[in-house]
Amino acid sequence: MRTNFIFTVWFLLAASLLPAQENMHTVEFQYAGRSLSVPKLGTRVEVVPILALIGAGAEYSLAAGTYVVTYGEQQLQFSPGHKLVLVDGKLLNTKDAPVPSPGGVAASIEFIDRSLLGPLGFRLEPIPQGYRIAIGARFADPVTIRPVAADFAATTTLVLTLDRPTTATAEPAEGGGIVVHFDDASPRLDPSSRLRSRRVRSLTSNGQEILIDTGTDIGLLNWHNLDGPPRVVLEIGKVYPTPTPAPVRAVERSGPPPVVIDPGHGGKDTGAVGANGLTERDLTMAVALRLAAELRARGHAVRLTREDGEGRALTDRTAIANRLEAKIFVSLHANSSTFSSVKGAETYYMSLDDKATDEAAAATAKLENEAGRRGDGRSDLDLILWDLAQTSALNESAKLAVAVQTQLNALLDLRDRGVKQAPFVVLTGATMPAILVEVGFLSNTAEASRLASAEHQQALARAIATGIEAFFREP
Amino acid sequence: MNRRVFLILVAAGVSLALLAWVLFGPGRQVITHQEVFEVDELPTPTPAPEQRVMLLFAGSDGMLHPELRSVPLPAEVHERVRTVVFEVLAGPTGNLKPVVPWAAELTAVFVDHQGTAFINITAPPEPLTGSHNELILAYGLVDSILLNCPELTSVQILFGGHEIPTLTGHLDFSRPLVLNKRFIGS
Repeated sequence: MRTNFIFTVWFLLAASLLPAQENMHTVEFQYAGRSLSVPKLGTRVEVVPILALIGAGAEYSLAAGTYVVTYGEQQLQFSPGHKLVLVDGKLLNTKDAPVPSPGGVAASIEFIDRSLLGPLGFRLEPIPQGYRIAIGARFADPVTIRPVAADFAATTTLVLTLDRPTTATAEPAEGGGIVVHFDDASPRLDPSSRLRSRRVRSLTSNGQEILIDTGTDIGLLNWHNLDGPPRVVLEIGKVYPTPTPAPVRAVERSGPPPVVIDPGHGGKDTGAVGANGLTERDLTMAVALRLAAELRARGHAVRLTREDGEGRALTDRTAIANRLEAKIFVSLHANSSTFSSVKGAETYYMSLDDKATDEAAAATAKLENEAGRRGDGRSDLDLILWDLAQTSALNESAKLAVAVQTQLNALLDLRDRGVKQAPFVVLTGATMPAILVEVGFLSNTAEASRLASAEHQQALARAIATGIEAFFREP
Repeated sequence: MNRRVFLILVAAGVSLALLAWVLFGPGRQVITHQEVFEVDELPTPTPAPEQRVMLLFAGSDGMLHPELRSVPLPAEVHERVRTVVFEVLAGPTGNLKPVVPWAAELTAVFVDHQGTAFINITAPPEPLTGSHNELILAYGLVDSILLNCPELTSVQILFGGHEIPTLTGHLDFSRPLVLNKRFIGS
């Protein structure tokens, strides 16, 4: 009581006798466009007005002798004269203690910043007239993380629940696994948590990161920052696209850069099936072999991504073309529609406007570079060069698509369905002009019959080869 | 019969009569504890105003075509996504065909802070084929949502609660798709 009385008298005297120097006894705090002059007591300032400025409630409990601060679902308690703060049930040590004041309680700027505003998800930033309260806790302030994993058939959902809001980013770690980076916090793993998962081996906190060790071929599929409670949700599973190093290394080029032809589907994957029993798998191989012969006859080197009857992952097909440094990549497919009347050929190239896909393509190319050339001193410069090559390749892909589609349109009874763009998996990551040709609809009875004939397959191969030659002749 | 037996019989008879009266008597009163909880009547929610939405369905030319429909359209973006997807899955009213060729249901909608909507629909009962079916399904849903919810930038479709790399072996479903008007017919 006596201390309170002395502080009150001192404060009133200072306020009444020195009005011209009021700014020397107040500190301005700004938050969300509002500013507030808070009384200063030596090196300390009144706490309650600052908490009110951010919308936090502060009430003094006479029975407990503590201030209870409530902000949303968060609650913390502190006592004048004690170097402790209770944050959501956990005790934190502080460097100094708050003291009783005319306004209730005053504390140092560091105490307010690190022990009060920090746990509530704010920080103080100095400005000429005082401090600005910014959203986001200060660097290195700890955030406690409680991990929970749920294994599903093909994926695992890993949820990192945080004890305060903070921004995190997740990405595949170099050398495997996943790294979660916290912009403004040092993660601490809750020691009471127990994790059971087939795909997550361990979690390690390191500085502002958490390293997640995953099983072989297991990686990050997707991730999100979510609120209420604050958490990072990671989808973990077999990584797509993942070029398989062995087949890629096995593909060695001898001679000039080839045209790589990709007969769609293969193995057990038949693709579309026509009413006449013709499968997309067999049709694309038949046309691919004829197209290869046509191109070789015209003096071009040609490689196929698969042999007859063989299956191959979509991402491996593009990887093969990249490793062979192919001149162009042509993926052959046959279509199917619920409308039996729909017919015709169409040619696709990669979407230019799909940022997500472009990023995925860059990541794929980086993986391919690492898989094929690990250890030869290549760096991120490769990725930049690849990015430039990809942009150029997309423009060239458009030209190739138009050249091929023009020749397909010239075929009798083949309706022009035009050149289109779509984020197809098999075109993702190709570093050369790459197109996907749908040679016709197997769901259309008449077109399926025509597609089954050797003459029409040869005509398709000749038309595509002529289109490719026309593209090569373009300046 | 002596007097003692007579009294016992009379007592038994009276007891039985009393029991019958208690159990089946007309004026029986069962004392039970009753409490009445007053339930505040909730105000009837104001129905969302009807607005025209543009839904995309498959045409016989193999392209997407719009169908305009007036539906109550909530202000909240995730509810609007739900409404649009519900209408697309309900199918067209005219000559167009559904873009999802199985009886799919919308089971979840989530919208993140980056303007990406995640929708989860029931998985196809049997494998689909053809890039055309895949593209019509994807952009029928994605374009319908993005054209009616301009604050969104992309949509990711999950099937049966799972993110899949591709549906028929062509289109990349592992990432959100952006608006693609190339499949909308004139």
